[in-house]
Amino acid sequence: MQVPGLRRLFHWRHLRTVLQIPLLIVSVAMILDGLLGPSLAPKNLATTLSWVHFRGTLVLVLLCAGNFFCLACPFMLVRNVARRFFNPRLNWPQRLRNKWLSVGLFALILFCYEDFSLWSSPWWTAWLIVGYFLAVLVVDGLFKHASFCKFVCPIGQFNFVASTISPLEVKVRDLDVCDSCGTKDCIRGRRAPGAELVVIQRGCELALFQPLKVGNMDCTFCLDCVHACPHDNIGILSRLPASELMVDPRRSGIGRFSQRKDLAAMAIVFSFGALLNAFGMVSPVYVLESWLAEILHVNSKAPVLGVLFALFLVLEPAVLLGLAAWLTQIWGGSRRALVPLAVRYTYGLVPLGFGMWLAHYSFHFLTGLYTLVPVIQSALARVGWTLFGSPRWTLLGIPIRYVQPLEIGFLVLGLAGSLLVIHQLAESDCAERPLRAFVPWAAVSVVLWLAAMWMMFQPMDMRGTFLAG
Amino acid sequence: MAISRATVTVVLSALACVAALFASGCRKAVEPQSAIAIEYGISPQPVRVGPVAITVKLRDAAGEPVPGARVNLEADMSHPGMAPVFGEVREVTPGRYQGSLEFAMPGDWVILIHVTLPDGRKLERQVSVPGVTAN
Repeated sequence: MQVPGLRRLFHWRHLRTVLQIPLLIVSVAMILDGLLGPSLAPKNLATTLSWVHFRGTLVLVLLCAGNFFCLACPFMLVRNVARRFFNPRLNWPQRLRNKWLSVGLFALILFCYEDFSLWSSPWWTAWLIVGYFLAVLVVDGLFKHASFCKFVCPIGQFNFVASTISPLEVKVRDLDVCDSCGTKDCIRGRRAPGAELVVIQRGCELALFQPLKVGNMDCTFCLDCVHACPHDNIGILSRLPASELMVDPRRSGIGRFSQRKDLAAMAIVFSFGALLNAFGMVSPVYVLESWLAEILHVNSKAPVLGVLFALFLVLEPAVLLGLAAWLTQIWGGSRRALVPLAVRYTYGLVPLGFGMWLAHYSFHFLTGLYTLVPVIQSALARVGWTLFGSPRWTLLGIPIRYVQPLEIGFLVLGLAGSLLVIHQLAESDCAERPLRAFVPWAAVSVVLWLAAMWMMFQPMDMRGTFLAG
Repeated sequence: MAISRATVTVVLSALACVAALFASGCRKAVEPQSAIAIEYGISPQPVRVGPVAITVKLRDAAGEPVPGARVNLEADMSHPGMAPVFGEVREVTPGRYQGSLEFAMPGDWVILIHVTLPDGRKLERQVSVPGVTAN
């Protein structure tokens, strides 16, 4: 696919900065409004933008295009400015060169979201953004390359996993050109003529060597490789969504998916976390939470949430995936051991998980689409700018009756994607009896999909306080 | 590998800025207490989805009712992006105002009581209504 003008746009050296500056300004406005503005979440920029508009836009862009949020990430703009004044000297510790830390942080953010009711607290939301900026500065201030993006950032990991479903990918146009390339600037960076130590355009900071890169995992769409390539041989190209989940080659900077337990754990938190996060906003969760609080004899939220998270992010995946792997072994005749088998097929659940994130976040985004208008009007009025008149708090979004069919469509699309990926994995794994390898994992997908559909038709309960008394 | 002095300086400066921000409280200055007390009542209890009656009483510093004020009700969910509801209020006896709101969904709600006094002063009271349950 070639869109006229886009190639030139993506080659423009200042594109990233131009995209980052508005997001940085918005981030600062969110922080200020979160700390100094109204304490009521629906009237504050920090909460409205973070939990309604940002999340919704993020998943829709990931679905329709690719990881463009990381491209426009405002945290990286601050980091890049800071790196003009000091250079990190340390290498990221060898023991942490995996996704385990970010898996923990991703789960922790999901937990904090529930425990601190982040959606309803502009103050906490603002501090979360401030914390993000500081974490970026500290991590990338101490450690070389894009250590924060690759090994720490929970939003980045979400984007990496979700972008495996995206239709666009940063990749090489013609591998033959790479074969004859002597400089490998896409990974090394372009050097100043006659001064080998002076990098004038950095290469991939996430250690993805373009000719061996497969898919979007770990790619921030920063376009450094596009700018560094002396042959104009790298671009943002179209591909079959989720195709990278159907194959298992050795990937540059990643290795084989089937050998990465940490990545599989990330896929589990991504997929099962999608359901858990949505479960938090339907009425039955409060019955369950109240029951747990009673049998645990506790009055605070954290221990109850702890049990729920252990149940849905650890026990449930362990039982379902363990059972499916065992059945694949005995029915399908797979020669892989139980854990490697589970690791290999876990990626098949990513499309379904993404479908659930899409259904959930786009629901809030679409039904609350125009709420941004009065919130901005109100924020501007507070600084004395009443050009846009009084806030129209009655502005909402698209009616639920139109949005709900779309949500069901996202879930169906997610299930179809998962079944397709699992089928491809089964075909390459158990060539003689692919159906027998396919059935257990398809059953897991269908069970999760039914759970998602059940949630969709539950009475919505906008995260009531279950221990309200 | 040793960390450069510049790195340490920047990191420490950033941490100092955060500490200063924390120390300053980062909160809006507390507005001086209004001389007008806004009392409220919600019925029925416990609050469920559907219509609820709201009673608002306005009293001055001497405890005397404040008649002739304009009172408006607004209720928002604690989650942003949801539909707010608005309610009409009328004065039933001097200083006592009554109106209704219709909670459209279970969850945590916040009622905003907007008051415009006869002399034009505006007051607002935020009332948390957690755990509104389905019928």
